[in-house]
Amino acid sequence: MNGEPIQVLLLETTAAGAAPLENQLDDAGVARFALERVGRAEDAIDRLEKNHVDVVLLHLPPDQALRVLPSVQQRAPSVPVVVLTDEENESAAVQAVRGGAQDYLIRSKTDARTLAHGLRYAIERKRAEEALQKSEAFYHSLVESLPQNIFRKDLLGRFTFGNGRFCKEIGKSLDQIVEKTDFDFFPADLAAKYRADDQGVIESGKAFEVIEEHVTPVGEKLYVQVIKTPVHDAAGNLIGTQGIFWDVSERFRSEEQLKQAYADLAAKEAELLETMKLLKASHEELIQAQLQLIQAEKLESVGRLAAGVAHEVKNPLAILLMGLDYLAEAETREPAADQDVMRAMRDAVYRADVIVRGLVDFSANRRLDAIPQDLNAMIQRSLLLVKHELVGAHVAAIPELAEDLPPVLLDPTKIQQVFVNLFMNAIQAMPRGGTLTVRTRARRLQSVERDEGSRSAERFRAGDRVVIAEVEDTGTGIPPDKLVKVFDPFFTTKPTGRGTGLGLTVTRKIVELHHGVVSIANRDGGGARVTLMFKAHGSESHAIQREPAQAQAHPGR
Amino acid sequence: MPFNVNPPKRKRILVVDDEPDVTLLVRLNLQRTGRYEVQQENRASRAVSTARTFQPDLILLDIMMPEMDGGDVLAQLREDAGLRNVPVMFLTATVLPEELKSKGGTIGGHPCIAKPFQTEVLLSRIDSILSGGKPAAAPR
Repeated sequence: MNGEPIQVLLLETTAAGAAPLENQLDDAGVARFALERVGRAEDAIDRLEKNHVDVVLLHLPPDQALRVLPSVQQRAPSVPVVVLTDEENESAAVQAVRGGAQDYLIRSKTDARTLAHGLRYAIERKRAEEALQKSEAFYHSLVESLPQNIFRKDLLGRFTFGNGRFCKEIGKSLDQIVEKTDFDFFPADLAAKYRADDQGVIESGKAFEVIEEHVTPVGEKLYVQVIKTPVHDAAGNLIGTQGIFWDVSERFRSEEQLKQAYADLAAKEAELLETMKLLKASHEELIQAQLQLIQAEKLESVGRLAAGVAHEVKNPLAILLMGLDYLAEAETREPAADQDVMRAMRDAVYRADVIVRGLVDFSANRRLDAIPQDLNAMIQRSLLLVKHELVGAHVAAIPELAEDLPPVLLDPTKIQQVFVNLFMNAIQAMPRGGTLTVRTRARRLQSVERDEGSRSAERFRAGDRVVIAEVEDTGTGIPPDKLVKVFDPFFTTKPTGRGTGLGLTVTRKIVELHHGVVSIANRDGGGARVTLMFKAHGSESHAIQREPAQAQAHPGR
Repeated sequence: MPFNVNPPKRKRILVVDDEPDVTLLVRLNLQRTGRYEVQQENRASRAVSTARTFQPDLILLDIMMPEMDGGDVLAQLREDAGLRNVPVMFLTATVLPEELKSKGGTIGGHPCIAKPFQTEVLLSRIDSILSGGKPAAAPR
C-alpha cells in the first residue's frame, strides 16, 4: 500500500460505478488506486495523451470493448488495458487478449480483490512484455544489423538458424535453409571442411577461428574470417554450433599481394646483389687491366730512363774509382784533400743509391697503394729520374714548389710515373732546349665548374681543399685541333718510335685512380701546360678562397 | 816518383765536367804524378774562355752537360785559332766501354774514355796523346 497510487483510467459509459469501484479497489488492500472515469472512447484517448495512466480499465460490453481497444493500444501502446465486462463471452475474451488486452474479466465473477490483483498484474505483465520486446529487439538488431553472417547448426550439422545476411549470402530463405546442411549449399570439398571444423568445435568444446576460402552460390570465390563456437542449452548440454563469418577477401588479397610483393622484392634484391657482385668483379678486372696497362707503360718508361739512370750512376762510380786510386797511394797524395776526397766518395755512394733505388721503386709493380704523401717530394724524385734527359736536351728544370702543401693520398710510384711521363713529354717538346717549370700550390675551391671533359664536378665540391700541380714547357705547344685528343689511347704527336701513344692515357688513368683530374692547355706565351688537381688529404668543405675548379682544355694560340 | 832536379815542363790539362767531384778527383790524381798542371771547369759555357786563359796542352771534355754539351764545346774550340789544335779527349758516361772499344776508343775521331775509369788507364791515354798525337789504344 506504499508509494504512489496506481492511476487507473476507467472507460465506462454509465456514470454509476466509478466512485464505488475506487473504494472497493482500495479496500481490497492490494494497492492504492486513483480512479478516473471517462464516458467516451474519445475522452479516454484525450486523457491518455495528457496525463500519466498506469492502466486502462475498459468497463464496456464486449463488442464495444473490442472496438475501443485498438485505438487505445495505438495511442498508448505501453499502457496495459484490462477489459471488464458484464457478459461472459469466450470468443470476445480471446479476441481481446489477442488484440493486446492484458486481461478479460467478468464483472459478476470478479470481486474487488480479484480486480485489484488483475490490474496490478496487468501492469507487471505489460512491463515484462515490454522489457522482453526491448531485449529481443536488441539481440535481433545485433544479429541482423551487423554486416556479419551468423548461423547455428545442430550436432548433426543441420542449420537451425541463419540471419538475414547469411540467407542472402546462400541465396535462400530461412525456411529453405533450416534443416539443410552445408552439403546442400556448397561444393562437397568445402562442405566437408566446414563439417570437419564444426566437428572440431563439438569435440573440443572450444572456439575455432580461421580465414578460409568460401564460394558463393554464384561461384564467386571469397576469403572469409570464421569464428565458430559450441552452443549449449539452458542445462549446459551441448546442442550444436554457431558461427559468424565475414568477407575479408580484400584484406586477405592485399596481404597475399603484399607477401608476393615481398617475395618479388627479395628475389629482385638477390638478383641485384648478384648483378652487383658481377659488376664488382668486372670493375675489379677493369682496375686490374688498367693497372697492367699502367705497369706496361711504366716499363716502357723504365726502358727509356735506364740509359739516363746508368749515366747518373756512372758519374758516382767514376768518382768512387778515382777516389780509391787516389787514396791507395799514400806518398803522393795531398793530405789536405783527403777529407774532400772522402766526402766526394761518400756523396757518390749516396747519389748512386738514391738514383738506383728511385728506378727500382719506380719500376715496382704494385697495386694502387695510396698513403698521405708530399706531392713536392714526388716531383723532386721524378725530376731526379729524368735528370739525364733534362741535361741532354739542355732543358732547365725550375721547381716552384709551395712550402705549405698539405699531404695528398697518393701511390708514390704511380704519381712519379705521371710526372716522369709529363717531364719526358715536356723535354721531347723542347728539342732545342727550354725551360720546364713545375709549380705546386694549395687552394680552397670556391666553386666547381661543370665540365664534361675534366670531370671536375664529379670529384670536387666547393669548399674542398685541393693541391694543384702544373707542368709547363716552353716548347711548340699542341695544335688546337689535337688538344682534345691527347688523352686518347695511341694518339701521339711524336715521330714513330718516340712514344707509345699511351703516356697521357695512362697519366689520366692514374690521376683518376687518385680521384684527381688532369687537363692540358697551351700557354699564352707558347708551350703547353698540364694541370693536375688532387683533393688534399682530410679536406673539409669550407669555402674560403676563390679558386674555380677550372681544369679544362683551353685552345691555344 | 823520385825527385827530379830538372823536371820537364809540366803539361797543362783542362778538365771540363759539370760534376765538381769528377773534376776534383781527375785533378788530384793527375797532379800527384807531378807531371801535370790541372785546371777544373764545371760550366761548359765557360770552357772556351777558361781554355784561352789557361792554354792547356790537352782538354778532357765531358759530353753530357747542361747548357751545352761536349760536342758544342769542341766545335767552339775548333773555331778558335789559338785552341784549334789542342787535343781533346772526351770523358763520357753515356757510352759503354765495349761500345767504345769497337770504335777504336774514339768518338767522331776523337779519343774517348768511358766513365768509370781507372786512373792508370786515364794516365796512359793522356800520355799516349801528349807523346804522339796519335789516338791511343782502346781501353781494356
